[in-house]
Amino acid sequence: MSIKHFDYVRASSCAEAVALLSDPTHISRPLAGGTDLMVLRHKGEVQWDRLVDISQVPEMRTIVQQGEAIVVGAAVTHAEIVEHPLIQRYLPLLADACHSIGSPQIRNRGTIGGNVANAAACADTLPALVCLDAVARIVTKDGEMAVPVKDVVVGPNRTSLPAASVIRDFVIPIPPAQARMAFFKIGRRQVQSISRLSLACLGWLDADGRVAEVRIVPGACTPQTQRFDQAEAVMLGQVPTEELVRKAGQAGAVQMIAITGRRWSTPYKELALPALIERALRKVFGLPEVR
Amino acid sequence: MEIRFTLNGKPTAVDVPPDITLLRLLRDYLDMTGTKCGCEIGECGACSVILDGEVVNSCLVLAPQVEGRRVVTIEGIRGPDGGPNDLQEAFIEAGAIQCGFCTPGMVVAATVLLRKHGYPTREQIIEGISGNLCRCTGYQQIVEAIQMTVLRRGGLPEKEEHA
Ligand code: FES
Ligand code: FES
Repeated sequence: MSIKHFDYVRASSCAEAVALLSDPTHISRPLAGGTDLMVLRHKGEVQWDRLVDISQVPEMRTIVQQGEAIVVGAAVTHAEIVEHPLIQRYLPLLADACHSIGSPQIRNRGTIGGNVANAAACADTLPALVCLDAVARIVTKDGEMAVPVKDVVVGPNRTSLPAASVIRDFVIPIPPAQARMAFFKIGRRQVQSISRLSLACLGWLDADGRVAEVRIVPGACTPQTQRFDQAEAVMLGQVPTEELVRKAGQAGAVQMIAITGRRWSTPYKELALPALIERALRKVFGLPEVR
Repeated sequence: MEIRFTLNGKPTAVDVPPDITLLRLLRDYLDMTGTKCGCEIGECGACSVILDGEVVNSCLVLAPQVEGRRVVTIEGIRGPDGGPNDLQEAFIEAGAIQCGFCTPGMVVAATVLLRKHGYPTREQIIEGISGNLCRCTGYQQIVEAIQMTVLRRGGLPEKEEHA
C-alpha cells in the first residue's frame, strides 16, 4: 500500500521524537537527511502518513570526546564528519568512509544515523563503524539501550531497531595511538553496481613487530557487515610480510564465499576482495605499496 | 502549512502542503524556475541550492525542513549590477553552457566551492562538481570556467601553487 499524502512534524528532542513515533494514530517514520526517504517518496513508495523530522535535534547534532571515546550524534552529516578535527585526528577511517559517499550534495544531507538505520547493503559507514567497534545508543519508549553497530544491521535493509526508536548517537572508542587504519572502496555510485566493494581495516603491532590487533571488515560484501576473522587469524601474532598479506587476502575470499555462497557477483568479488585486503593491510602495517 | 525562511536574503513565507520538496516549493509555489528539475532522486544536481551555506539537492529536502533557515538559489547569485557575476561570465566565455539545463546547478555548486576553498585546485574543482551531471559539454569547459574564475580572483595557476 502506498499513501498519497503525509504530514510533517519536527522533533526537538529524542524523547519527543520517540513519543511522536509511538503515537498510534499515525504511521510515522523518522526523517533526517532525506537521501533515502525522499527517493522512496519520489518512487511513490510512501509507507507512512507522517514524517518525524529528527535532523535538527540538538543532542543528535554534535561530535564530542567523552573520556576515551568519540561520540557522534546520529543526525551529524557525512560532510560534518569529514571536516571535524576530532574525527580527522582519532578516527580517520570514518572520515575516509564518509568522504567516499555520493557527491558533496549527498554528503551535506545524508547522516550517519540514517546510513545505519536504513541499512543499505552499500552503506559505506557500516564497515568503518563495525571496524571501530562503534556502539549505537538507541532511545526507545522504554528507555535507552546500547547495541554494537554490527548487531544493529542484521541484513540488507533490515535492522534490529525496535519500533518507534531512534538512534541518538554512536560511541566510538578511540583506538590506541599506535593503531593505523585504512578505508578503500572500489566501484562508483550506482547502488546495483557489481563492482561495489569497500574495506575498513585497523591494526597495530606489538613491541616485537608482531600483529597485536587486526580488524578486517568488508562493506557491501556480506548480508551482515562483520569482521572477517579468518583473514585476521592469518595476520595475528605474526610479523607482517608480503606472503602473509597475500594469504590473508585469500582467506578473506574463502570466508566471503562461505558466508554468501556463490552468486552472480562472486567471480568479480573473489578477485577484488583479496586485492583490497592486501592493499589495506599494506597500508596499516607499513609494507611498501605494490604496482 | 506555512513555511517561513530566508530566500536569497529576503524573509519569505509560503503556504504549501507539508509533503512536497523544496524543489517543488521553489518552482511550483514561488515560480522560481531557475532551479532545474531533473531526476528528483538526488543524482543529477540540476536542483542544487545553498542551504545554510552548504550545497544540497533541493529534491531531497522536504519543504518544511527549511523552516527558519537560509536558502540561496541561482536567482540569488549575480553580479553587483544585477547581471552575471564573474563566475557566470566565465561560464559563457569558456563555452561551459550548451543546452544550459545543468548550468544553474553547476554555478550553485561552484559558488560554494569557491567560497569554501578560495582557490580550489583542479582536483578540488572536479570533486566539487561531482554531484552535477552534464550531458552536453563533457565537463572540460565547466572546469575551465571555474579555473578561469579562480585565476581572475587572484589565485595562482596550479603549477606555481604547488611549487
Ligand atoms: S533533480 Fe535533484 S538531483 Fe536531480
Ligand atoms: S549544458 Fe546541457 S546538460 Fe550541461
